[in-house]
Parts: sequence; C-alpha cells; structure tokens
Amino acid sequence: MAETSAAIGTATMSEHAVPSAPATLLTESEFQDLYRRHGRALWGYLYRITGNAADADDLLQDSYCRLLAVPLATRDDKQVRAYLFRIASNIAIDHWRRTGRTGRRQSAEPAGELAAPSAVSSHGGALDVRHDVSRTLREMKPQERVLLWMAHVEGNEHRDIAAALGVKAASVPVMLHRARRKLAGLLRKKGLGPGER
Amino acid sequence: MLDRMCVHQQEAIDTAAAGRLPGGALAQHVSQCASCREALAVVGWMQQVAQEPVPAHTMPNPDVIWWKAQLLRRWEVERKVAAPIERMHKAEILTGAVGLVAFVVWQWSGLTRALSSVIPALAANWTVRAATGSQAAEPFSLGLILGSLFVGGMILAGVHRLLAD
Repeated sequence: MAETSAAIGTATMSEHAVPSAPATLLTESEFQDLYRRHGRALWGYLYRITGNAADADDLLQDSYCRLLAVPLATRDDKQVRAYLFRIASNIAIDHWRRTGRTGRRQSAEPAGELAAPSAVSSHGGALDVRHDVSRTLREMKPQERVLLWMAHVEGNEHRDIAAALGVKAASVPVMLHRARRKLAGLLRKKGLGPGER
Repeated sequence: MLDRMCVHQQEAIDTAAAGRLPGGALAQHVSQCASCREALAVVGWMQQVAQEPVPAHTMPNPDVIWWKAQLLRRWEVERKVAAPIERMHKAEILTGAVGLVAFVVWQWSGLTRALSSVIPALAANWTVRAATGSQAAEPFSLGLILGSLFVGGMILAGVHRLLAD
C-alpha cells in the first residue's frame, strides 16, 4: 500500500511539474528548509487526525522519509506541500489499517493533550466551537477526518484526495458530502449544528 | 432534502474556501438550501479547527530524519542490488534439489549396489541375487562417481551458504 501510494504520488506530482525539469531528490538544505516551513503544520495535522503526539511524531518522520526517497520534478512550495500532506494522509491511513486502530479510542482521553471538555461550549464563542468540533471530528472514522481536512483545510483537489485515500476521484465528492453530513449530524446531536429544514 | 448533494454546493464551498461570502443568486440560493448551509457550516468549522493551537511540543529533530531517510535509501539500494543474488540463491537450492532427484533416478541401480556393499543385509541380498543371475554385478560407473561429486558439492555449497547467512 505504502509503495503504491508513493508511486501514485509521483505520477500525480509529475502532472503538475514543469515538463523539462528532471526529477531529483531533495538536498539536505532543501529538506531543512521544507521542514522549517511545513514541519509544524504537518505535525499539527497529524496530531489532529491521530489525537496522539507520539503517533504524530512517528508519522511525521515517515512522511518526510518517504518524501526524501522520491525524486521530485518540481520545487514549487505549494505543490510539494500538497504532496507532503498527501503522503502523510496515506501513511496515516495505512498505519490505521495495519494496526487495526481507528485513532478514536486513544484520542478520546489523551491524558491532557487534547482540547478542554465540551462543557465550556455552553458559554459560546469561537474557541469553544473549535473545541467541540475538534472533539467531534475525532469521533469520526480516520478516513473521514483525513477527507474533511484535505478538502476543507488544505484545499486539495479531488484527484489528490483520491490518490491519498486510494479511491476513485469520482467518489470523492460523494464521500465528502457524506462526511460533512455526518459531522453536522454529530454536532447537531450536541446542539451545535445547523438545524435541518 | 439533505441526502442528495445540491448542484450549487461545490460553488458555495469554493466561494467559502476562497474566503468570500456567497453573493447574488448564490447567496439567495444558500439562504433557502439547507444542504448548502450545512456544507458551508462544516467548511467554516473545519477552518476554525485548523486555527486551534496544537499543544507545545518538541518537534522531531530534522537532522535525525535526514539521516534516517539516507539510511533507508541506502538499504533500499542494497536490497535492489542484492535481489538478483537472492534469486540466484533460491535457484541454486532448486537446482540442487532437482539435480539430486534426477541423479537418484538415473543412478538408482548403482546407488542400490553401493548401499548394499555398505549395509550387510543388503549385501547378502545382493550376493544372492548376483548368484542367481537376476542382476549382473557391475563396477561403479563414471556417471555415479561424477554425479556423487556434483551432488556432494551442491550440498556442501548449500550448507556453506546457510552457515554464512
């Protein structure tokens, strides 16, 4: 799975790449620069979808190692970032499949690492909504979390999401619609979502 | 009806993702379409979650990641280089096994005779059979000697390889 995804990633990457540019491996300075710019954001993403700092560390390392093993035809920051997040999503899903963990149980009580309890949400405010949505998100399937994040936070295209999740691009809009409905439904149960009319 | 995706939903999402508010006809549609409103709400929530600060954490050392990646790459190169040797190793064992079977089938009578000279019971039987003329006693053939050397060599090479591994 992992090797397949890397291959898909390279293929999709080459579609965005400058045709004449030869694909080369990242140099150490390029990697350091990339890590400085996107490392924390990637860790944050992995932390939010796993709910666990140790897993986020491991997956971050694996993601960069995978990126460093693949010759890149472009150094465009936006494309490389999108590719990096796609690798990370793929590795995270692979990790859940391999370990049979959903990332839900361990994220429910991560020993003080996660957001404050939703009891504070009764006071209202963006921060409380954030906490509640963040907690509700962790009740969803890993694939749904990755899907929503890649589409609505990273703004990835459907074909990139499809490549990361190993599904057909045509399935992504439907999967996204279902994931949005599920999140809204879960939040509605907590008295947060928009009312269905 | 929320179960079906509204045809304007993607347009509304794209507008929200670009940081703009739906305007004109789209705004009017969104105000009347529960599906689009819900989608826009989810997009808004996701963007809020993205702004939630992550806990203070010491990031993995980039130097360690770099060297780990180099090491993994080197192992991968070594694995690719060693792959034909590994295949040859399997082929050697297979060839040895096939050679052994072929040799035993080919030299069955010679082997039986050789064994009978070693094992007394078989030797007695052999003597009786030779005396009654049921089978002529023949000296060991060159094929038997060369074959034994070949199979013995293969076995020695296989054992040597196993011990080396």
